[in-house]
Amino acid sequence: MSTPTTQSPSPVQAPPVVVARGLTKTYDTGGSQVHALAGVDVEFHRGAFTAIMGPSGSGKSTLMHCLAGLDVPTSGTVHLGRTQITGMRDGELTLLRRDRIGFIFQSFNLLPMLTAEQNILLPSQIAKRKVDQARFDHIIDVVGLRQRLDHLPAKLSGGQQQRVAVARALLNAPEVVYADEPTGNLDSRSGAEVLAFLQNSARELQQTIVMVTHDPVAASYADRVVFLRDGSLVDEVLSPTAEVVSDHLLKLEA
Amino acid sequence: MLRTTLAGLRLHKSRYVTTVLAILLGVMFISGTMVFADTLKASYEESVMGSATGVDAIATPAEPEYVEGEDPAEAVAFDEEQLERVRDLPEVASADGMLEGRAVLLDAEGRAVGFMPPAAVSLGDASRFSAKEGRLPEADDEIALATSTASSTGFEVGDTVTMLDADQEKRDFTLTGLVNFGVDPNFSMAGATVLTENVVREIAAPQGYSEIDVVAAEGTDDETVAKAVEEELGATAEVATGTEFGEELAEGVGAQTEVLRIALLLFGVIAMFVAAIVIYNTFAILIAQRQRELALLRCVGAKRGQVFRSVLTESFVVGMVSSILGVLAGIGIGMAGARFAGPLMGTDVTASVVIGPGAVLSGLLLGTLMTVFSALVPAMRATRVAPLAALRTSATASGLEKGTGWVRVVFGLLLFAVSAGLIGLTRMTGPDPAGLFIVTGAALIAFVGVVVLGPLLVRGIVRLVGVPLRRVGVPSMLAVDNSVRNPRRAATAMIALTVGATLITGYSVVSASLESTLTKTLDEQFPVDYQISPQFNPDELTVGQEETETTEEGAEEGVVGTEEGLEGPVEGTEEGAVEGTEGAVEDEEPLAELATIPSRVREDLEKESTVSKVFGLRSDSAEVAEEGVGGPLESMPVSTYVGADMGTDLTADMVEGELSDLEPGRVVLSEGYAGGMGVGDTLTLVTPEGDLELEIAAIAEDMQSLFGATVSEEDFVRAFPERTQDDTLMIRGAEGADSAELREAVYSAVDDHPTLQVDSVAEMKNQFSQMMDIAFYTIAAMLGLAIIIAVFGISNTMALSVLERTRESALLRALGLARGQLRRMLSIEAVLLCLIGAGIGIALGVVFGWAAAAAVLPNMVFAAPAGQIAVFIAVSVLAGLLAAVLPARRAAGTSITGALASE
Repeated sequence: MSTPTTQSPSPVQAPPVVVARGLTKTYDTGGSQVHALAGVDVEFHRGAFTAIMGPSGSGKSTLMHCLAGLDVPTSGTVHLGRTQITGMRDGELTLLRRDRIGFIFQSFNLLPMLTAEQNILLPSQIAKRKVDQARFDHIIDVVGLRQRLDHLPAKLSGGQQQRVAVARALLNAPEVVYADEPTGNLDSRSGAEVLAFLQNSARELQQTIVMVTHDPVAASYADRVVFLRDGSLVDEVLSPTAEVVSDHLLKLEA
Repeated sequence: MLRTTLAGLRLHKSRYVTTVLAILLGVMFISGTMVFADTLKASYEESVMGSATGVDAIATPAEPEYVEGEDPAEAVAFDEEQLERVRDLPEVASADGMLEGRAVLLDAEGRAVGFMPPAAVSLGDASRFSAKEGRLPEADDEIALATSTASSTGFEVGDTVTMLDADQEKRDFTLTGLVNFGVDPNFSMAGATVLTENVVREIAAPQGYSEIDVVAAEGTDDETVAKAVEEELGATAEVATGTEFGEELAEGVGAQTEVLRIALLLFGVIAMFVAAIVIYNTFAILIAQRQRELALLRCVGAKRGQVFRSVLTESFVVGMVSSILGVLAGIGIGMAGARFAGPLMGTDVTASVVIGPGAVLSGLLLGTLMTVFSALVPAMRATRVAPLAALRTSATASGLEKGTGWVRVVFGLLLFAVSAGLIGLTRMTGPDPAGLFIVTGAALIAFVGVVVLGPLLVRGIVRLVGVPLRRVGVPSMLAVDNSVRNPRRAATAMIALTVGATLITGYSVVSASLESTLTKTLDEQFPVDYQISPQFNPDELTVGQEETETTEEGAEEGVVGTEEGLEGPVEGTEEGAVEGTEGAVEDEEPLAELATIPSRVREDLEKESTVSKVFGLRSDSAEVAEEGVGGPLESMPVSTYVGADMGTDLTADMVEGELSDLEPGRVVLSEGYAGGMGVGDTLTLVTPEGDLELEIAAIAEDMQSLFGATVSEEDFVRAFPERTQDDTLMIRGAEGADSAELREAVYSAVDDHPTLQVDSVAEMKNQFSQMMDIAFYTIAAMLGLAIIIAVFGISNTMALSVLERTRESALLRALGLARGQLRRMLSIEAVLLCLIGAGIGIALGVVFGWAAAAAVLPNMVFAAPAGQIAVFIAVSVLAGLLAAVLPARRAAGTSITGALASE
């Protein structure tokens, strides 16, 4: 990363967990080519909570999908730890997601026919992995879902649903958690709860988190914000505040 | 509005693929049946018309008027003099008579062919029949055979064929040709041989000309010549022109194809019914999924009526397109059917394929109307979508989710109770043909009950089988949960399969129970291995004109036929012997010798070490002195079993008394002939030798081994002293005797008597179960179509659900569910649905199959064909796997990011 670092909180200096080099993603739309990603180099460090920001169409979701192995970049490489995930076959990618990555989506995070607890345990069950009961209890208590474990998603509020999703993503202590607009559908109070929880997880559990958002307030919970425009990484802020982030965004969109 | 509808249809056409296939298959079957039946009919007609129009006039002996209370008199055949008179008419160019009698034909093994001897006829130059292969016999040592006879005996042109003359002497002939007598009942039953006129007179004891065929003189039309012949022959003859005669014959065979058509259409209707369920479900799901779309239409100003019409228009277009495709496919199937199945129906399809307007219209109308009709309820539901629904975010399938309230439960249980009550009623009244209708009604009511309780049943069963399934793994756990998310949808999909499964299982249970009942009856009541009986003397009998009419009917008739075959030797020979004896008395014909079994045969058999028991049946009939006894004719069939240990060698279920109580001076009556008399009463038989007073020792149940009055040998001899020979011989092999040796022994005993018919009970059972199997497979194949349509329905339901759950699938994939696991999840869900549908069907089928069998069969031995049921279960698993193939492919193939991004 070429951007000069003025402040250096420890998470950002820890060894990188995710490294992307020269990522491009091109879509053919009837003759003309659209460059969703035009050569992105980025890395995410252990225990760091990073926000990816940018105007609509800047490629932030595409970047996250490529980093997470949900989408295949046109060129470039992505490493998760020592593993190069670009070029992996679908089966390998599935196992990688199952065992080493956590996901939180904007909406539709939960399976409607499973209870909150079943939703949280689903990835472990798919992987036939033993659940660390202590960790489970800890996470449930922190997200405050103890009383709601046997509820179906339809009976939970939006914030509760999202906290279930967060608990699910964190339960297996994945190497990285990707969150796609996790507060996009929430009111500000529920959003703040979820974001604070993500922040704490990064600090206390040394959990690497990468979040895509367009909300400067949400981004201010992160340790670091990277800005994307037209498929390129253009700016970066450490220890952001909502004002600083807004200013940067406004400049980008200008 | 129309444009919106059509645009929507174009956009979503992939969603209709399976629906179109379901309608297409149903319509295809119906149109195919029509084309097949029309073609078959035209071809039959062409063949009979062709043969009849070869001559200009045909005279047949007039049927004498039936006089009440008398035996129907036989038509008197034409004699030589009548033929000469016809020939001498100026309008007649040539005329020939068809001399007709019967003569015994021997097969390659030297045994008489057929239950009765085939017709032996002579064909003149003027005849409506001609050789289909080779040529007609010209010399006295030449013979032609009916094509049916040739194929049953395996004789080919050029072979030497042996017949027996009146003195039972063998005569050899050279086979010169084959004649297709078509479906003429006179010849299709026992077959026919064609000989020269001399030979027919020598060996076949013809009574005269059964038909005179006339060719008109030059310049005389057929009407004129027919009229002239009619005037000449007077009241003794019925004369028709060739065309008229052909039309009459054609009418007869036409009726036959109509039966086939109706039987096939029945299966077509079942298939269409299942297709209707599938269509209903498809539209219900589509409407539920398109709630937002419909609400948006309402928002921008569409009226309820417009929404309603839009849905109906959609169904009309879908129905119309599928019906057109179905009719086209049906024409193809009908052509193929006529080509390949025609020969099985006893005719080469010679006529070109007939595609009548009926075939096209019935398919189009039925398919389209049924589709629109099935879409009515979903269309109604669509009108109830509130405009506000467009603004809601969750828009999937809430319309289908109505709970199963207690009203539903009570109503469903009530239906089951009524159904059970009706079955109880049939059990109370005992075997009765009306019971079959009651059972059918009960089955329909229970089926409605299943429909009403369907969602509940699905939920309950899934909960039950879900317990172990959940433990297996995530895919099966998710599948269990998914399958009860829309219990109504699942129930409707599954019920489509239940229809077919119920019908097939029901039929298989009836068929298996019938078989086991008859086998048991046979084993218990006739513990014999072989029966020997004489060939029927047909000229003394009115021959039932049974024909194989349809595959299904034919098979069933075959079943009945065999049933009679099994018990027939007792009853049949009785009648044969009765009339035979009467004939002997009245006509002085030496028939008694033919109708019974020479005592030599019995003596020979008794000497064999492989034979443990030989007993004979002798039957005759006598009038009964008591009022109201002996049935409508007040004539009592009287039989005795010579040499049988009653109650041991022969048993029957008794109403009253014991069979072993039969001794001289006493009689055992079958219930139907008892006329209210009971044990201890006196029965008086009026015989030429005087009255015979007998005390009733026992009453036997009807439809069993005993028929009419069974008396001791002493009493029988007293009543009918001239009856010294057996009508039927029954032979039981010794314990542990080699079956081949026993067979050898039996056949060598009848070696000198080629006309005696040997029936092996084991072979009869074998043939019987083969026939039952053929009937079963035919019906199963026909119902298979309904099952295929149901599987399309399940596949369609799955596909639509998958579409609805695209984002869910994407989420699961993002969370690390492998493609294979996703596919497995959907397969398990589909298999679960199919198994429930088939399971309910099997349960209904077993219950109502049992009820139906018990309603018609006395002393029914229930048999559930475990093997066949296991096959159904395997088939339904396979069906589930197949149904899931396409939806699973689609679900697993969708891109995760695309699905997650789309709203």
